[in-house]
Amino acid sequence: MDSKLCITALAALLLSVPAAADEITVYTSYEEDEAARFLELAKQDMPDLEVNMLRLSTGELAARIIAEKANPQHDVIWGFAASTIVTPQIEETLEAYRPKGIDAVPKEFRAADDKWFAVTGYMAAFCVNDERLEKLGLEKPTSWKDLLDPKYKGEIVMPNPASSGTGYIQVSSLLQMMGEDEGWAFLEKLDKNVAQYIKSGSKPCHAASAGEFAVGASYDMRAIKNIEEGYPISMVIPAEGSGNELEANALVATSKNKEAAKRFLDWTVTKTAADAYLEWKAIVTIPGGTMPQRFLDAGLPQDTNSVLHPTDFKAAAEDRKDIITTWQEKFER
Amino acid sequence: MSGAARTAARRGESRSLPALTSDRGIALLLSAIMAGLMLVFLVMPVAAILLRSLDTQAGPGLGNFAVTFADPRFWDLLVNSLTVSLLSSTLAVSLAYLYAYALQRSNVPLKPLLRIVVMMPLFAPSLVQAQGLLLLLGRNGAFNRFLGFDLDIYGFWGVALANTLYTFPYAFLILSAALAVADARVYESATMLGARPGRIFRTVTLPATRYGIAAAVFVTFSLSVTDFGNAIVIGGNFSVLATEIYNKVIGQGQFALGAVIGVVLLAPAIVSKLLEKRISSRQQAQMTDKSVPLTTRANRMRDLVLSGYCYAVMIVFLAIPGIVATASFVKLWPYNMAFSLKHYAFDVQNGTEPLWNSVYVALATAGLGVTIATVSAIVVQKFRTPLSGPLSFLAILPSSIPGMVLGLGYVLAFNNPANPLNMMYGTLALIIFLYVYYNHAQAFLIASTSLKQISSSFDEASTMLGGGVVRTFFKVTLPLLWPTLLGVGVFFFMRAMVSLSAVIFLITPETQVAAVSVLQLADRGAVNQAAAFSMCIMAIVIACLLIVRLVLWLAGAKSVTLIR
Repeated sequence: MDSKLCITALAALLLSVPAAADEITVYTSYEEDEAARFLELAKQDMPDLEVNMLRLSTGELAARIIAEKANPQHDVIWGFAASTIVTPQIEETLEAYRPKGIDAVPKEFRAADDKWFAVTGYMAAFCVNDERLEKLGLEKPTSWKDLLDPKYKGEIVMPNPASSGTGYIQVSSLLQMMGEDEGWAFLEKLDKNVAQYIKSGSKPCHAASAGEFAVGASYDMRAIKNIEEGYPISMVIPAEGSGNELEANALVATSKNKEAAKRFLDWTVTKTAADAYLEWKAIVTIPGGTMPQRFLDAGLPQDTNSVLHPTDFKAAAEDRKDIITTWQEKFER
Repeated sequence: MSGAARTAARRGESRSLPALTSDRGIALLLSAIMAGLMLVFLVMPVAAILLRSLDTQAGPGLGNFAVTFADPRFWDLLVNSLTVSLLSSTLAVSLAYLYAYALQRSNVPLKPLLRIVVMMPLFAPSLVQAQGLLLLLGRNGAFNRFLGFDLDIYGFWGVALANTLYTFPYAFLILSAALAVADARVYESATMLGARPGRIFRTVTLPATRYGIAAAVFVTFSLSVTDFGNAIVIGGNFSVLATEIYNKVIGQGQFALGAVIGVVLLAPAIVSKLLEKRISSRQQAQMTDKSVPLTTRANRMRDLVLSGYCYAVMIVFLAIPGIVATASFVKLWPYNMAFSLKHYAFDVQNGTEPLWNSVYVALATAGLGVTIATVSAIVVQKFRTPLSGPLSFLAILPSSIPGMVLGLGYVLAFNNPANPLNMMYGTLALIIFLYVYYNHAQAFLIASTSLKQISSSFDEASTMLGGGVVRTFFKVTLPLLWPTLLGVGVFFFMRAMVSLSAVIFLITPETQVAAVSVLQLADRGAVNQAAAFSMCIMAIVIACLLIVRLVLWLAGAKSVTLIR
């Protein structure tokens, strides 16, 4: 058996030698279905480029990148939370690159040192289970402030900001819009009504969709997709303005096939890519283009800027550690 | 008695003097190979984690431990972990003992069915169990929604219940093996001396299965303490150490602090190893050359009571996958109950390919796993070499390592250009070794329990007749042991089909496995598709069982208990 395994290992080794020159490995946190669609289009435009894609959630991917640091396996990071990509342990694995056509992406969505740029993003949104609200005789909340009402006690689930990017933008946007003192006081009041802090950003929406809780604080696309699945939920963009996060792309410094990696990154800012993003994402940083009807039906406005809280991404990234430490001291159970 | 056994063993040794040199050589060689493999695929990854736990900004030191121990939250979580694991372990072992007793020592009808049904949690990814419990007992679960209950499963009791169900099959496997063999002469003497059934149970059955009970407690406790899947879904705000590792590593990228908790979770292994050694040193062989196998006598009252118990347990174990299967076949549970196959159109990346990858990996894991676990058990139980002690400790170490921690250890150890085995990184071969060693403890314990029950006088007889170690193994041990070994193989196959947390860090675009697809589907909210995928995994595992069963039947071994 041992010798058989040696052969297996050897065969695997021989097979794992890069076959084509233009072959790259891409790590992404885009959701499975959207990543698959984007990749299909990328392959149409670059048939000679072999893209191996691994999709993991933001936290899992971050852990993986840090664990593999001694010998990175990937060439490109694609669609990965900007507030996490700036973690020093990850940022130092990146190499500055300005893709062809990057000027289409406004400056505020790019790192000053060109180590990453973001073409898409997402925003905080509540998933509200209408059936459960009706059963409990509650009105639909429209803002964060509404959620302070004691009648929602035990019916709200939120992501844990320490492990969820979505959770972090919710907390950091509230702190940014209310200021430190008032913001923390607000979160303390909210805490009294929160049933659970869940470790991932999409799970609160799933919990609300399944009817386990009335309100799940989550993000826009999760709500829209669950509505399309047929769950009796609606999406609520908090009236105070919604916190938002960017999804960044970057070149990995240790890439052994940088030309191919750069080609792929160039593609991510093309018109084809931008059009595809519009089909799947409510926030696309490349201007122009219109939002699909299904997003409007779910409750998004044509101009997302009208509901976004203007996020200071730099501050959000810099304050991350302090905010999470304070949050954990106050609320982690 | 242990003294007498030892004397016998010594006598056996002296008698086999002529064969000693070559036997001793083979024993040492096999021990060395086992130790070498464990060094590479177990010690090295664990060491990589240990090193990480000492890695502070100010250089190597105990700073991370100081930070962790100074945090009152850590102590709360420790208490949570210990209480919930103690409770679920006690429940699982007690319930499984009665169940195994009913199957081995009474005439309850439909035994094969009863045996297979409680194994269901092993046939599917753990997500199925958590999902099933929520669909049944969640705030909007079937009981609340359709039957008007007002249950809230989230929290301590939910986790205790989930862990009890999750560890029950493991306890049952071990206890069933322990109860499978008994010497009828002892029972006859007890009856003739006028002992009533209760007294016989206390003074004969219970002491004879002491080792099995200890092993079952140890395995179930370790499984509960290291499991994070149930706690993360059902725990709500009730956190345990295993979820805290997830929180630290996955949530915050704080490897060193996660590693510290991983190291703390190794403690149960060390404690239970010490306890197990004390208990098993007093264990004697159940089957000797003079034994008469115990046959079950008729007793209608006993059978009636035990049947009632067994069928109640069976219903619980059927309900969970049952409701998940139902959810996978309707349009949108629980809102639209129209029949639909739409969840079986898998549009996950690579479609159903990960399923076939998994079958390949699982078959290889079964073959390699049986070989390694059996040889380890023989090396430890039958050959007394200087390596036996350390080997027996390492053999059961994996059960106290959370899968995620071991997986991370593999990345740290094998994705290092300085490691000569670096080439294995990113291959299915490494995943196979991970599965073998991740599940090594249970397989080793099952093999050991069976080996212990084969009296050394069989070996002695064979040795006296001039059979060497190898000849004795193939002519005496293997014919007695092979049904157990098939069971161990099936166990490895199942584990490799369904385990998730250990491989999440090792999959690459080319080495996607089925359990990861389930996670990805669940992650993106397609919970019913995830359920459908799990059902396919379950179908493959059950098909494998049926095939092995058919092979056994064709080979004429109709009465062999496959899973034990």
